Amino acid sequence: MGSMELCTAPENGTAAAATACNGGAAPPNGGVERRLRSMAASASWAAHLPLEVGTRVMCRWRDQKPHPVKVIERRKSSSYSSPADYEYYVHYTEFNRRLDEWVKLEQLDLDTVEADVDEKIDDKATSLKMTRHQKRKIDETHVEQGHEELDAASLREHEEFTKVKNIAKIELGKYEIDTWYFSPFPPEYNDSAKLFFCEFCLNFMKRKEQLQRHMKKCDLKHPPGDEIYRCGTLSMFEVDGKKNKIYGQNLCYLAKLFLDHKTLYYDVDLFLFYILCECDDRGCHMVGYFSKEKHSEESYNLACILTLPPYQRKGYGKFLIAFSYELSKKEGKVGTPERPLSDLGLVSYRGYWTRVLLEILKKHKSNISIKELSDMTAIKADDILSTLQSLDLIQYRKGQHVICADPKVLDRHLKAAGRGGLDVDVSKLIWTPYKEQG
Amino acid sequence: MSRLSFRPRPLDIHKKLPILKSARDFEDDDPTAAAVTAARVGVLLRHSGSDLTAAATATDGEGNPTPSKKNAQEIPTPQFDDVESYERDYTRTFAQPSCYIRGRGARADIGEFVEYDLDNEDEEWLEDFNNERKNLNPEKLEVLLFKLEFLDHKARERAGAITPTFIGPVPVLLQLDVAMEALQYLSVRYAVFQAVYNFWKAKRERWQKPILRRLQPPPPVNDTNPYNVFRPREKAHRLHTRRMQRRENNIQSFEKLRLVRRNLDQAKALMGALIKREETKREFMECEVNLQRIQMQYKHEAQLVDDGTALSGFQQVSSRYGSSDDDYADSDDTTTEQPYYRPPVLHPRYSDNKLSVIPTLRIKRERELKRRPQNNGWAFKRDPEEPVLLFTRPLDPGKLVAAGIKLPPDPPIENGDTMPPFRCRGRIGRGGRIIFDRWNPLARTPTSVGQETSNYVPYGRRPPSPEG
Repeated sequence: MGSMELCTAPENGTAAAATACNGGAAPPNGGVERRLRSMAASASWAAHLPLEVGTRVMCRWRDQKPHPVKVIERRKSSSYSSPADYEYYVHYTEFNRRLDEWVKLEQLDLDTVEADVDEKIDDKATSLKMTRHQKRKIDETHVEQGHEELDAASLREHEEFTKVKNIAKIELGKYEIDTWYFSPFPPEYNDSAKLFFCEFCLNFMKRKEQLQRHMKKCDLKHPPGDEIYRCGTLSMFEVDGKKNKIYGQNLCYLAKLFLDHKTLYYDVDLFLFYILCECDDRGCHMVGYFSKEKHSEESYNLACILTLPPYQRKGYGKFLIAFSYELSKKEGKVGTPERPLSDLGLVSYRGYWTRVLLEILKKHKSNISIKELSDMTAIKADDILSTLQSLDLIQYRKGQHVICADPKVLDRHLKAAGRGGLDVDVSKLIWTPYKEQG
Repeated sequence: MSRLSFRPRPLDIHKKLPILKSARDFEDDDPTAAAVTAARVGVLLRHSGSDLTAAATATDGEGNPTPSKKNAQEIPTPQFDDVESYERDYTRTFAQPSCYIRGRGARADIGEFVEYDLDNEDEEWLEDFNNERKNLNPEKLEVLLFKLEFLDHKARERAGAITPTFIGPVPVLLQLDVAMEALQYLSVRYAVFQAVYNFWKAKRERWQKPILRRLQPPPPVNDTNPYNVFRPREKAHRLHTRRMQRRENNIQSFEKLRLVRRNLDQAKALMGALIKREETKREFMECEVNLQRIQMQYKHEAQLVDDGTALSGFQQVSSRYGSSDDDYADSDDTTTEQPYYRPPVLHPRYSDNKLSVIPTLRIKRERELKRRPQNNGWAFKRDPEEPVLLFTRPLDPGKLVAAGIKLPPDPPIENGDTMPPFRCRGRIGRGGRIIFDRWNPLARTPTSVGQETSNYVPYGRRPPSPEG
């Protein structure tokens, strides 16, 4: 990797740089010709620094291995302008956008640089292809609630806005967390790479001293709503976005840092927030939350769901999902999460549906309809169908559909779906549905 | 192969689906699936279903991965660290109550909490300020800025300058002296207060909006800038049903609603008329019932007199009343308000009757004869209502007198009655005899029913129903 540093130092001369490059990472059976070509390439790219936006290159990631990236943005890292003094915001093409980050030039393997030719041609042509490409990109990232009203131009603008994370890190309670996505904080906060959140009221500040001063006066030790569930150290609070507008907005700003497909377009007063907390003698610490529309026309029982990164993979997400369905059962309705689901969200939901449905199928003796399954679980019939079909448990035989519930097959699927996480003890849920609240 | 060659019927979610529990059930059923599994495992088909599954699970472990929890957990995510100062920043002062915590009102309603936190700009200004005269701590500055924001908000409220959304720079309306007076209780020296006020005002003018987030107006609904967030949702767009959502607040909707209103008004007028008509009908029916009750009464009194034919006479009456009711039931609604001017058409029902042999011309003449005196009122009614007996000739009074035949005298009028219980009417019978029939003028029926009365009936019941 030292080779790259050499490459970036023009005063060493192109030839020396090239040799060093190949000395560092020479392919054991690489031909002379190939070596020459690579020499020429790195030499020319070294001369063409800084790299253009759109360039594709290999980049050393945190696992110390090279991964293909695409340059999204670049900026000067210091005031004095040398072509090497740039940082690059890169997207690892193998991974989700949440891993996009600013990297130093030394992390990039300039031997592998290639301009994003396709894109350039498309750019010039501004043809159908370009539109389709744009469309796809937009579809992938922005099929969001509330955005249907925006025209394509605004969407592209949005894409442009959100392509680079504005806040790199946050401090929340006892964790300093790398953020995942852009979040539209008020413009006054855009010049800070790190924000300090009050763990309880979720107010955010730019300096640690400001947070410490805030902590002295902050009168909250738990989310500002009603506790509706308590089991051991775990508590769930219901916060009405209308009654606690600033809290709801703070939560949305925070959550957007970890949710790509979330919009903060509309105000929070039409939502209820369910905050899951771990409680100790310092207060109730938020581990995750989900939001829910007060009145949903499409029978959504969940709008956004998030487990904060330090608490992920501990079963909290599954608990939140299970909780949302318990609320639906209390309301006597079937529910479904708002789409699109993120990669992590889909995994969690698939796991939950699989566990719930297969447990029933294991025990159930007589024939059963999808509707009955839906009534028992509050899971929407479409979700039941898609789950069973994806596991290949619904088959068409002799002119009728049957459910194949071989216990061994079910066990295998259940094992693959993972542990159920923390269970919701319904007897500890003390809750009145919003419509019945005074 | 065969399984995929046709398209399965769409699945009905209400239909009960059989659950196949045993692996053998579908291995036997489905050679394709079994073959596939067998190929994957690399064993012969002879193995039992359970063996196959076990083997399949084994291969999965070896490197034939199915999407599983293991894979899911491999989705890489950004990292996090611990904060060293955490234990100092957050104090151990929370005691969880034994009952579930109930939320209080929002902070704004509780009052004394200072919502404002100093930002970098404030801190830097304060540092400069204190370098000259060390006399203001950050907490005090927070309080002052918070109160200034609030007083200004109230001033704008009073001036009616609060806009529901952000449509332009939000001006500062709070004056220094007013603020000073209102915040006297904070006991801040005038020079300090003035400096803070000026700093605050300059900052407000730079920001062009309140610095306290809660007081900043939300962006307007039609603002598409993605940086601007938390728009108010228009109520019209968030109605609870789709039907309500479809109606927008525009000219077309207005016209549509006006049409609806006009239709409803018309319907209301129509219903009013209908109610009036039905009431009239009921009144008419009551009159009719009363009339018939009186007729019945007279009939019975007549029967007492004419005891010999009472039974048959009663039958005659009842059948007649029955048929007259039928007439009303059949009659068209539109004519019921003026039933007395029913056009003289023959009811189809009569075509089967013996009467059909009578030429229409004659009927017409008869009817004209009857209608003429009717115009003069009820008093003359008894004359036209006298039975027209077929195959008889009316008596000529002049000839009777010449022949020395006298009409039988009317029976004595009973007390309270206006008319005698019966009258007599003379005619020449088929055999050439002169016959006097007793005739009840009120019931309009002959009190003695002879051979001829059956012929009379169809004629007799025509007049009373539509015309009488």
